[in-house]
Amino acid sequence: MKEHTFLNIINPVKDKMYRLALRLLTSKEAAEDATQEVILKLWNRKDRIKHYANVEAFAMTVTKNYCLDQLKLKQNNNLRIVHQNYESNHQSLQSEIEVNDEMEWLGKIVASLPEQQKMIFQLRDIEQYDYDEIAEIMEMNQTAIRVALSRARKAIRENLIKKHNYGIR
Amino acid sequence: MELDKIERLLERYDEGETSLAEERILKEYFLKEDVPEHLRSYQLMFIFSARQAGEKLEETPKISSKRNWYTWSSIAAILIVALGIFFFNDSSQRLNDSDLGTITEEEIALEKAKETLAMVSQIMNEGKSDLVYLKEFNNTKNKIIQID
Repeated sequence: MKEHTFLNIINPVKDKMYRLALRLLTSKEAAEDATQEVILKLWNRKDRIKHYANVEAFAMTVTKNYCLDQLKLKQNNNLRIVHQNYESNHQSLQSEIEVNDEMEWLGKIVASLPEQQKMIFQLRDIEQYDYDEIAEIMEMNQTAIRVALSRARKAIRENLIKKHNYGIR
Repeated sequence: MELDKIERLLERYDEGETSLAEERILKEYFLKEDVPEHLRSYQLMFIFSARQAGEKLEETPKISSKRNWYTWSSIAAILIVALGIFFFNDSSQRLNDSDLGTITEEEIALEKAKETLAMVSQIMNEGKSDLVYLKEFNNTKNKIIQID
């Protein structure tokens, strides 16, 4: 397989891989490194890539496993991934700031979910994979995925409502 | 879109039972329209999902650099080894031809050979003469042990 062909396969997936890595690893730098590393891994076994029925799902599975490994490694070292994703919000509109605020809060809520729910929420609600693909990526059965997804959605919304009502009720 | 239809979809959404198409309907509804206050939390979730999907990997993936480095360094190593062997072999052959001191005339060669052999035998004899003392040991032994 040539570099060009490989990149054509990877390019549509690489942003999804990056976003999954970002969801798990929080830090943009770490997520970029992880994506790069996974792409290299895939490139190194490019001869076998043709045999996989669904290359995209395979790439996502590798990303998932790599990130979980990274997290384990970090936990063992008693280190935490510190992110430095500071961005200037230059939109001055009041509503825009309000929404951004909510988004930031949502990001925190999602980050506090268990890893499995985090990943499934990412794959379904953000990347919009169907249940077959999620089952393949997560190496889980569909029922378990639906349950985890339902829990994630409810937990996110509950947290959001709790935050909104804080101090009022 | 009627509100109760949306609410029914949301109920199933919470249970993880909606299809992708239904979720797309929900998404469109929440991204476009003003929603009643009690659905605000859903709207925020859908906005969040939509925004997160826009996150992009900024750097382009590099795949060949490592591999190329290996290829070129191995080629260089092979070249160095090959050239090294070539030059080494060449110089040793030249040494064989010129520096061994081969004697071309037969008579001189014979003399030289004789001289060398004589020297060897002389050294051997010198060494052997030291062994005379061993006979002394035998003599002493014979004095003690009677041999019939």
